[in-house]
Amino acid sequence: MFSDETVICLEGISKRYYLRSQRPGDIKTTVLHLPSFLFPDRNRKAFWALDDVSFTVKRGESLGIVGPNGSGKSTLLKIMADLARPTQGKIDVRGRISALLELGAGFHPQITGRENAILNAVLLGLSRRETEEVLPHIIAFSELGDFIDEPMRTYSSGMYIRLGFSVAVHVHADVLLVDEVLAVGDAEFQQKCFDHIEKLRAKGVTIILVSHDLGSVTRFCERAILLHHGQVQMEGKSQPVVHEYLSRIAAVLGHAVSS
Amino acid sequence: MIKPLLLGLVLYVILSNVAKIESDIPYQLVLLPALFPWSWFQTSTIMAAPAIANNGNLIKKVHFPRYVLPFSTVANNMVHFLLTIPIILIFILASGRQPNFTWLIGIPLLMLVQLLLLLGTVLFVSAIDVYFRDLEHLLDVFLTLMFYMTPILYPLSALGKYKDVARLNPMAVLVEAWRNLFVHNELPSLVDLWPCLAVTAAAVLIGSFVFGRLEKGFADVL
Repeated sequence: MFSDETVICLEGISKRYYLRSQRPGDIKTTVLHLPSFLFPDRNRKAFWALDDVSFTVKRGESLGIVGPNGSGKSTLLKIMADLARPTQGKIDVRGRISALLELGAGFHPQITGRENAILNAVLLGLSRRETEEVLPHIIAFSELGDFIDEPMRTYSSGMYIRLGFSVAVHVHADVLLVDEVLAVGDAEFQQKCFDHIEKLRAKGVTIILVSHDLGSVTRFCERAILLHHGQVQMEGKSQPVVHEYLSRIAAVLGHAVSS
Repeated sequence: MIKPLLLGLVLYVILSNVAKIESDIPYQLVLLPALFPWSWFQTSTIMAAPAIANNGNLIKKVHFPRYVLPFSTVANNMVHFLLTIPIILIFILASGRQPNFTWLIGIPLLMLVQLLLLLGTVLFVSAIDVYFRDLEHLLDVFLTLMFYMTPILYPLSALGKYKDVARLNPMAVLVEAWRNLFVHNELPSLVDLWPCLAVTAAAVLIGSFVFGRLEKGFADVL
């Protein structure tokens, strides 16, 4: 199953969350509601955010993941980034993953952009020396200039994303996960990001992009996956997958209009 | 760091003048060499408990070893403790005592034991706190009681027949060992230390086991 070129391999991945599980959250409530804590299964309802998802991603590939809100895209990224564990199924990841799941995740507002860049790079797994080496590149790429030494609470969301993205693409990752965050940057910075990602991909970095910007998915990703209700509905070249997704949207809209 | 210093000052003034505690050494030498290591223990534990639970955003978005968060509070307070050692030294010298080479062996040794005890403890409390947030309050109560039951304000010998019961408390053993080291230049013997070593080993094992089990659910619960 695992060829040399495969960097991510998911087999039958499912993720279950409980709705209305009423997990107590503190000792007092637990003691007061001891029976329902000990026998919790009665009133809780399972929700499968992902249902038997399997696919593989090869080195240097760029994969787009599309689907409506709540289809499981973010859960899937979280599982690939090892932030959440699947309820069932097996996932194999080879190499370092750099995940850009949210605008400025892990940035602390009180310290400067430079300090945050160092902190973030170290959190993403760089050593101190590696961080010192890439820091000038991170700062240059972000184009923040003198603002890099200002506390991050003074930054605009565009500045946040610039720094966050700059760190994420400079940590020598083997796989880069990007969730819907590029939309914040201006057109010029977006283009610069795509150019940079393209360069990384030429070097063998695998890119996984979750986006509602279907144009950039077709333009940028060779392959795409359509998720719906936690299941892979379609997998293949990005053009037909996006087309299928659009025609589903059109069908839903058409139905709404006619009725 | 300002807290143990001020607390030390107030406790010293009150307990050496108002409620006199008998001891064969000057009271500041009973209090300070015990209070500062205790502060390291108490403050680390209190700060570590919400270390994971309060950083949900980080836990859910960035992949890094989760134990870094509780461990950093221990390291942070260890530095504060190291900075209070010169203060202890000043009081020791002022009382006409001379520290000797035993400090060079004793300080790293006791620090290692206390560090391991703390690492096990903070792994446990920070993991449990994710699921039971009111652990923080219970811990606060528990540590306050423990402060009075640990021979910090008084020497272990003052406990009389309860001495052996008190030694089940690992911090009682450690605090007494710190005091003997600083005041009497005495290295702890294995006989004195073993109950503490046993608890420390248990804390490390239980702490890492519990943390390892619960860590898988952090991102889902927070």
